[in-house]
Amino acid sequence: MAIATPRPYPVVVGHDSALYRIWVAIWKFVRTKPLGAAGAAIVIAMAFAAIFADFLAPYDAYELNQRLQFKAPTLTHWLGTDEFGRDVLTRLIYGARIALFIGLASSFIGATGGAILGVISAYLGGKTDLWLQRVMDILLAFPLLILALAIVTVLGRSLPNLILAIAIPVIPRTARIVRSSALSAKENVYVEAARAVGSTHIRVMFHHIVPNIMAPYLIVLTAQLGGAILTEASLSFLGLGTAEPTPSWGLMLSGGAPMYAEKAPWLAIFPGLVISLAVFGFNLFGDSLRDALDPKLRHRS
Amino acid sequence: MRGLKIGGLLLAIVMLVGLWGGAAALAEEKPRRGGMLRVAIAGDPPSLDMHQEQTFLVTIPFSTVYNTLVMFDPHGYPNIIGDLAKSWTVSDDKKTWTFTLHQGVTFHDGSDLTSADIKASWDKIITPPEGVVSPRKSLYQMVQSIEAPDPSTVVFRLHYASPSFLSMLAHPANFMYAKKYLDQDPNYYKQHAMGSGPFKLKEYVRGASIEMERNQKYWKQGLPYMDGIKYYIIKDDGARAKAIRADRADVEFRGFAPAEVEGITSQMGNKVTVAYPGQPAHWGIAFNVDKKPFDDERVRKAMSLALDRYDMAKTLAPLTSLDIPGGPIPPSAPWALSPEELQELPGFGKDHEANLKEAKRLLAEAGYANGFKTVLTNRSIKLPYIDMGVYLLSAWKKVGIEAEHRLEESATWSKSRASRDFELLLDPMGTSAVADPDELLVKYITGGSENWGRFSDPVVDKLFEQQKVELDEQKRIQLARDMQKEIMKKSWWLPVLWWSRAEVRSAKIRNYEPMPNHWMNRRLEDVWLAEK
Repeated sequence: MAIATPRPYPVVVGHDSALYRIWVAIWKFVRTKPLGAAGAAIVIAMAFAAIFADFLAPYDAYELNQRLQFKAPTLTHWLGTDEFGRDVLTRLIYGARIALFIGLASSFIGATGGAILGVISAYLGGKTDLWLQRVMDILLAFPLLILALAIVTVLGRSLPNLILAIAIPVIPRTARIVRSSALSAKENVYVEAARAVGSTHIRVMFHHIVPNIMAPYLIVLTAQLGGAILTEASLSFLGLGTAEPTPSWGLMLSGGAPMYAEKAPWLAIFPGLVISLAVFGFNLFGDSLRDALDPKLRHRS
Repeated sequence: MRGLKIGGLLLAIVMLVGLWGGAAALAEEKPRRGGMLRVAIAGDPPSLDMHQEQTFLVTIPFSTVYNTLVMFDPHGYPNIIGDLAKSWTVSDDKKTWTFTLHQGVTFHDGSDLTSADIKASWDKIITPPEGVVSPRKSLYQMVQSIEAPDPSTVVFRLHYASPSFLSMLAHPANFMYAKKYLDQDPNYYKQHAMGSGPFKLKEYVRGASIEMERNQKYWKQGLPYMDGIKYYIIKDDGARAKAIRADRADVEFRGFAPAEVEGITSQMGNKVTVAYPGQPAHWGIAFNVDKKPFDDERVRKAMSLALDRYDMAKTLAPLTSLDIPGGPIPPSAPWALSPEELQELPGFGKDHEANLKEAKRLLAEAGYANGFKTVLTNRSIKLPYIDMGVYLLSAWKKVGIEAEHRLEESATWSKSRASRDFELLLDPMGTSAVADPDELLVKYITGGSENWGRFSDPVVDKLFEQQKVELDEQKRIQLARDMQKEIMKKSWWLPVLWWSRAEVRSAKIRNYEPMPNHWMNRRLEDVWLAEK
């Protein structure tokens, strides 16, 4: 005897294509979460610029040109040129690449590391939980930027070290959030069942608990991205991040900008705008992603 | 008729009086007494003992507290005049110099300054005791012994007749200390400032200010004119320039970047005077010649050829004031290479296309047709270090050399430099005196204390030894030029650009002439401040 499972939603014939459904979803997202959509647009634009920098950028990002020093924005150089005669727009486009790469890599490493520690801590409990959480407390006691500064000072200035320095402060923040979700997931009957059948700890953790913490994990990941970009900019601004002549937003703001702000204000204005816009975009996107993924908030408003 | 006569007489008197008054106004202004000079300075002195330090952060404020034996004439550079020395005589073989001291010179603590103090101070500089550093002792390798036969006579005996001896003696860092304190502790002067100079240290607040007050009993009658000097410690370049613009400081004795000078002059107009007294330093490239591929002369030469120094000067001048291509001796000094001689040397020729072609050919010949990767170790200070690094990297890229820019904080950078932990190093070289070959070229000899790349060339060494004993000025100039050419032909060290210092001061400061080097003319004993 076969019991036919009823379809959850009525299907309208002719509008069943995947593309159509995606469009509907996007349209719904834009209508219900216009700010989130704006954030997503910024993020997509940034990713597009980063990926296609070689085609989009009108000039070479490294080529110096004595005749073009301090040119105000014109039709040939939309955002002007810097003190070495390099095109500001070009450097901002290439800067997106560095910002996005460092941002993604460090928040991915940080959030994933934090999530693993959070799950282990919650699942094993007892002394492991106690010790791991105290270590997290110590890390949390340091403000994000101060900790990153200390790490980069000790490890030295290079791209992998920079990513690590930005990732480490993210770990305790993610671990805290994931641990609380994992604690409640751990109490589910199917988890107990899995343990009763004799599944290994690893299997229980990764097959039965991890799927339950994906939502907070993704939210932390996107929320930290904006922060990571800002940290990279701050570290470069303080002279500990990437080094000239690498086109980095933070460096653009710290290098010529304060020195020539009077003579060439565009050197400060445009990188500043782009950094604010990117962080704003990621934060908006992260916020609405949280609303979308959180069942408790989904039907509000 | 009579009335006319009287009228004419009156007219003549009026005219005469007018003329006399006008003449008086044309004559020199009378020095005004009083007032505090406010100086902006970039940082704290590492210690107060100039014999042991190598930075203007000590010379600029503390030159006011001391006297030197002889000095560069504040109103007639580069003449050398006596300071503590009233007069001197030289023996016929030029190996014995006898100095007669001024009478009645006293230290700030009231004790008399005698030849014993001079001898003790110079002994400390030339043959430092255990636990005392003397970074400039190599400048005095000609000195054999110093004697003090009576309280007002000092005799210097030399190993050989030296053409540079007197200018080396006049080096501004050679403060004369009191023997009794040096006897107690040779490092006494690291913590204390006690000299015979026109000003006394009143207060030093670390990180904030150094204040000097007038020495009421200064042995030079009637001096100094000013009541005191306050040095405000302002680390940020921009903030130091703003202090001048906001009239919170009267002068910055080292130098500002062109953008700051422009900002100050456009706002202050004729309230400030800007002087470009000369080139005290240049920035070049040191190779670690033990590391591949820099042991190969062809590679070093190609790296020099890849730089268009004339375009570089045009690009960097408005940013950093690095504006003159030149060899190891500043272009304005008599021992410098002429522009024609320079153009014959690798990387100084005006046809840059040809230079690039030659660079590529040399690299291919050395086995690096596709270039190579390397690291440029640099100090993480924007002006001029990072800016120059950016230019170098982009120029080398054109011949296939990809250099990573390793920026290090000052202390780490000094350590990397001293321990030779680098492949390429952006290397500042400077003069703190008269740019004499004995001072500047000693850095390129085998084992020279600032030969960071540690290269060793017997021809260079021999030329140095020859010039240091050559008393004929013309022959010495030729030897110094030959030595520079030798260094540059083999590209042992790459000179790049000289820095033209811009000194900005308030127009109120009178009777003061800036000298090429920012270490010099810092005693300020006869400088005075005008009302407005």
